[in-house]
Amino acid sequence: MDTVPRMVAVLTIVCCVAAIALSQVYSVTKEPIANAEKNEQLKAIKAVLPPYDNDPLKEVEKHKYEGSTFEFYAGKKAGELVGRAVKVKSDSGYSGTIEAMLGIAPDGKITGLYILKHSETPGLGAKIVEKAFTDQFTGKQLGKCNLCVKKDGGDIDQITGATISPRAVCFAVRQGLLAHKALYEKKSE
Amino acid sequence: MTEIFLLIISAVFVNNFVLARFLGICPYLGVSKRVETAVGMGAAVVFVMTLASVVSWSVHYYLLVKFGLEYLQIIAFILIIAALVQLVEMFVQKMSQSLYKALGIYLPLITTNCAVLGVSILNIQKKFTLLYTLFYGFAASLGFGLAIVIFAGIRERIELMDVPKPLKGISIGLITAGILSLAFLGFSGLVKE
Amino acid sequence: MSGLREFTKGIWEVNPLLKLVLGMCPALAVTTSAENGVGMGLAATFVLVCSNVIISMMRKIIPKKVRIPVFIVVIASFVTIVDLVMHGFFIELYKSLGLFIPLIVVNCIILGRAEAFASRNGVFYSLLDGLGMGLGFTLALLVLGSIREIIGNGTIFGIMVMGASYEKFLIMILPPGAFVTLGLLLGLMNKIEMNKK
Repeated sequence: MDTVPRMVAVLTIVCCVAAIALSQVYSVTKEPIANAEKNEQLKAIKAVLPPYDNDPLKEVEKHKYEGSTFEFYAGKKAGELVGRAVKVKSDSGYSGTIEAMLGIAPDGKITGLYILKHSETPGLGAKIVEKAFTDQFTGKQLGKCNLCVKKDGGDIDQITGATISPRAVCFAVRQGLLAHKALYEKKSE
Repeated sequence: MTEIFLLIISAVFVNNFVLARFLGICPYLGVSKRVETAVGMGAAVVFVMTLASVVSWSVHYYLLVKFGLEYLQIIAFILIIAALVQLVEMFVQKMSQSLYKALGIYLPLITTNCAVLGVSILNIQKKFTLLYTLFYGFAASLGFGLAIVIFAGIRERIELMDVPKPLKGISIGLITAGILSLAFLGFSGLVKE
Repeated sequence: MSGLREFTKGIWEVNPLLKLVLGMCPALAVTTSAENGVGMGLAATFVLVCSNVIISMMRKIIPKKVRIPVFIVVIASFVTIVDLVMHGFFIELYKSLGLFIPLIVVNCIILGRAEAFASRNGVFYSLLDGLGMGLGFTLALLVLGSIREIIGNGTIFGIMVMGASYEKFLIMILPPGAFVTLGLLLGLMNKIEMNKK
């Protein structure tokens, strides 16, 4: 029964069948996966920009600013720019990188903030995803407001028991706004 | 250099594989009755996990990515680990009888230790370079070793205690692990990952 | 009759998590909420049922010496399928379970049932065994996830149950809570078992 050629043959056949089956499943699920990832992005963009009617994922511009790359997604309504969404991140969270989508109106005002990814402590730092926190940013802009937590003399309420996570978010937001200012606001002046 | 040092501290203490990430719980509870066996298991895991990290990283980037076969990652990694464990076992047996006696019985158990597969996948997910992978694999397994040795020390004492009957065995073991995990929670925020 | 027994035994008598104490890693890691627990349980059930059926079908042609590698390849294939399908259709659950989907491969329950049951029994019984064991695992995860979510966050399946003034007991969501809850749950199972005798 258990001769070596037989063992090799069975193992080989099992592996081949598995590989073929998986390649089939992969080719079937490839598109839904790409779509799902795209929808996640779109959901975030939709949450931070005023209503638009184009496909912001198609109007993406990549820019380098102070060593890091920013991707701007332009939202347009009837051909007119209503704002740009930009992915910002900060490495100075309490326990890892925080990624967020930031919506900026053409005049530099924040239209919305949506936390994409974080690994902050549940119940403490993780509260940065809640609307009560992210909504504070809406309408704020560079120069007019101090985008720091109150502990650092800014306008953003920190979260009870967690200062580091909101501070990291503020940092990421400032970076996004600075990049936006340097790249777009100059042109309109 | 500093970054690698922080990576090690982070993997050993802050994001300890067993106590914060819940990887490798089965051997953690299974082979922690005596400190001696815990040390043996810890050493075997350090050896295999470091090796597996490096090999799986190489296979992922030089084979799977090259041929666009990333979706075979899970199968490839588990087979690499299984084969590696066999090879290490044969190698150790040939090289040193005393080492084989010390580690031998723990090696086959490592194949189903999810910490090994976990670290291999994490290395890829975190987009580490080969050098980082090497240190991360080493540090993560060191964290496992540390946790299991401390835990075995506590369990040896618990053996002598008057534990309520329904809680005896794995039950009190898990509660102890919870308290240990609470202690390790104190490290959080020490280093960012 | 015996078919029914193969199905029900996994739910209580030899519940894989609470009695056999298998599959601890995912059980502890993903049960921060009831929803995650159920998602993980169902994913594992799918893999368990499929691998049980396939392995039972092949049990006569697999040479004894290479059976473990064959089992692993079969299981890993189904896990990959679950991984791809969840990524495509349930992306939120996929992201919150994260690393623990690929790790279903090394979930001892699945390899354990393949070795102890499917490689020795017919296809139909193996199917029932897989379903029962998977359901038992899912239920155990649901209980664990519910306890942790209710105490730690005041909600169950995201619905507030403890009232707005409830002081959330955070530690239950954090790793220590997982260990202690499962430890006490196992103690409770032992107690019930003892009282029966």
